[in-house]
Amino acid sequence: MKSERLMKVLLGPHVSEKATVVADQGNQIVFKVAPDATKPEIKSAVEMLFDVKVKAVQVTNVQGKTKRSRSTMGKRKNWRKAYVRLEDGQDINFIGAE
Amino acid sequence: MQVSVESAAGLQRTLKVAVPEETIEKVVATRLQSLTRTAKIKGFRAGKVPMKVVKQHYGQQVRQEVLGEVIQSSFYEAVTKEKLRPASSPSINTENDEAGKGLEYTATFDVYPDIKIADMSGQKIEIPNCEISDADIDGMIETIRQQQVSWKDSSEAAGDGDKVTIDFKGIIDGEAFEGGEGKGMAVELGKGRMIKGFEDGLVGVTMDEERGLDLSFPEDYHAKELAGKDVHFDIKVTKIESAALPEIDAEFAKRLGVADGDMDKMREEVKANMQRELDAIIKNKTKQEVMDKLLDANKIEVPAALIESESQNLMKQMSNNLLSQGMKPDQITLEPSMFNEQAQRRVALGLIMAEIVKDQGLEADAAKVKNYIDTVASSYEKPDEVVKWYYGDKQRLNEVESMVLEEQLVDWVQQQAQQETKNYTFAELMYPEKK
Repeated sequence: MKSERLMKVLLGPHVSEKATVVADQGNQIVFKVAPDATKPEIKSAVEMLFDVKVKAVQVTNVQGKTKRSRSTMGKRKNWRKAYVRLEDGQDINFIGAE
Repeated sequence: MQVSVESAAGLQRTLKVAVPEETIEKVVATRLQSLTRTAKIKGFRAGKVPMKVVKQHYGQQVRQEVLGEVIQSSFYEAVTKEKLRPASSPSINTENDEAGKGLEYTATFDVYPDIKIADMSGQKIEIPNCEISDADIDGMIETIRQQQVSWKDSSEAAGDGDKVTIDFKGIIDGEAFEGGEGKGMAVELGKGRMIKGFEDGLVGVTMDEERGLDLSFPEDYHAKELAGKDVHFDIKVTKIESAALPEIDAEFAKRLGVADGDMDKMREEVKANMQRELDAIIKNKTKQEVMDKLLDANKIEVPAALIESESQNLMKQMSNNLLSQGMKPDQITLEPSMFNEQAQRRVALGLIMAEIVKDQGLEADAAKVKNYIDTVASSYEKPDEVVKWYYGDKQRLNEVESMVLEEQLVDWVQQQAQQETKNYTFAELMYPEKK
C-alpha cells in the first residue's frame, strides 16, 4: 500500500460520548475515514501515523442526516466511521501528536 | 506556603513566596468539577461530558485563572504574616508556574516607612503677633480713598495727577507705524505707565491744544522692532480731568457700608475687617511654621511610588490651571519630575500627620465642624440650606472634617512645642513681598 494513499484514509478523530466510552472499555479509538477506505488500509494508516499496534478494525457507514431549510429538503453526506482497537498497552495521545 | 523577605535598599522589599502544588491542584479540581455540569463540548450532551475531556479542554485555562487568584491571596497572606505595609502595588515575577511543580514567585514593592513621631517639646514655634495701630487704620482708609477716586472735567492746564484724554499719531522716520495711532486714549500724568518723557511732555497742556513730542523708545521696549527708535508723536488733547479724592466724611462712611455715617463706627468696621484678614494670615503662617518644624523634626524616607503618583496629581492640577487660564494643550510642557520635590514634601507631611492623628487618637470635633459650617453658611442668603447641603453630602462633610482635623493637629503640635511670640507690624504681615 502506498503511503500517499494512506495519508488520505484518516479524516479525523470522532469525538462523542460513545467514543469516550469505548476508549475506556475496549481501548478503541474512533475515526472518521474516507468513504472508500478498507479495513486493512485503515489499520496500516493508523499504525503508520501514530506508531502503534492495531489489533482489529470495525467499520460502519453512517447515513447523512436529512435537514430541511424552509420547504426544500437537504441531505448531509454519508460518511464512514472506523472503530480501531489497539493492542493492549497502546494509546494514542491526540494532543501530543499535534 | 513558604515566605521569605529580602530588604533591598531603602524601602524596597522583595517577597519570595512558594505555594505547594496540592493547594493549587485542589482548587483546579473543584473548578473543573463544577465546570462538568455546564460545559458544552461538541459530541456530548450538556452535563454528560466526562471529567477527562473537560480537563483536556479547560485545564490550562482554569489553572491560569487559579494561579492569578492564588498569587493575589497568598501575597496578601504573606504580607500580613510578615507584618509589612505595602505602599505600592507589587510587581510580580513568576518563577515557576508549570503544572505539577507548584508555584513560586517574587513580589517587589515599596513599604510605608516606620514613623516614630519625634518629640516636639524641644522645637520652637514662632507665632506672629500683631496689633493694629491707628496709623495702620489711617493707611487702610487712605488706600480705600485712592480706590474711590472720581474724575472731574477741568478747564485748566493739566498738571501731575490729572487725566488727559488724547488722540495721537506716532511717526518714525517720516512714516506712521503699526499701533502708533490712537484716539481717545486716557493718560494719567505722573504714573509712569507710558514711555519715558510722554507723560512729562503732556504736563501743562490745555484743552484742544496740539502738541508734538520727540521721544525715543527705550532699549528694552516690549515691541522689538520699535525698541531704541526715535519717534515723533503728534498729539491733540480732547479732554482734561482732574482727580477728586473723596472727603473722609459721613458720605464716605456710608459708601463703605456704615448706614448712619458715623465716623467712629466706620473706623471700627475697617479695623474689624483688617483684623479678620490679619487673623487668617497669622493662622496660615503658624500652620506653615508648624508644618516646617514637623518636617524638620521627622526626617522620613518616602516610598518612591507615592512620590510618583503625587507628582502626577500635581502635574494634572497644574496643567488644568493653565488650561483654564486659556493656554493651549500643546503649549504646556510639564513633566511629573518637575514636581518631585513638592510631591516629596507633601507625601512626607501627609504620612507624618496621619501618624500623629493615629498616635494621638485625634478626631474631628463635631462642635468645631458645626461651627465652621455655620460660619461659611452665614455669608449666604439661605444659611439653613447651605448647612443642610454640607451635612447631606458625605464627601463634602469629610472635606470639612479633615480641615478641622488639620487645625486640631496644628493646635496639638503647638501645645507640645515651645511657643515663641514674635511681633510684626501690620504691613510686614500683610505685604511681605514689599520688604
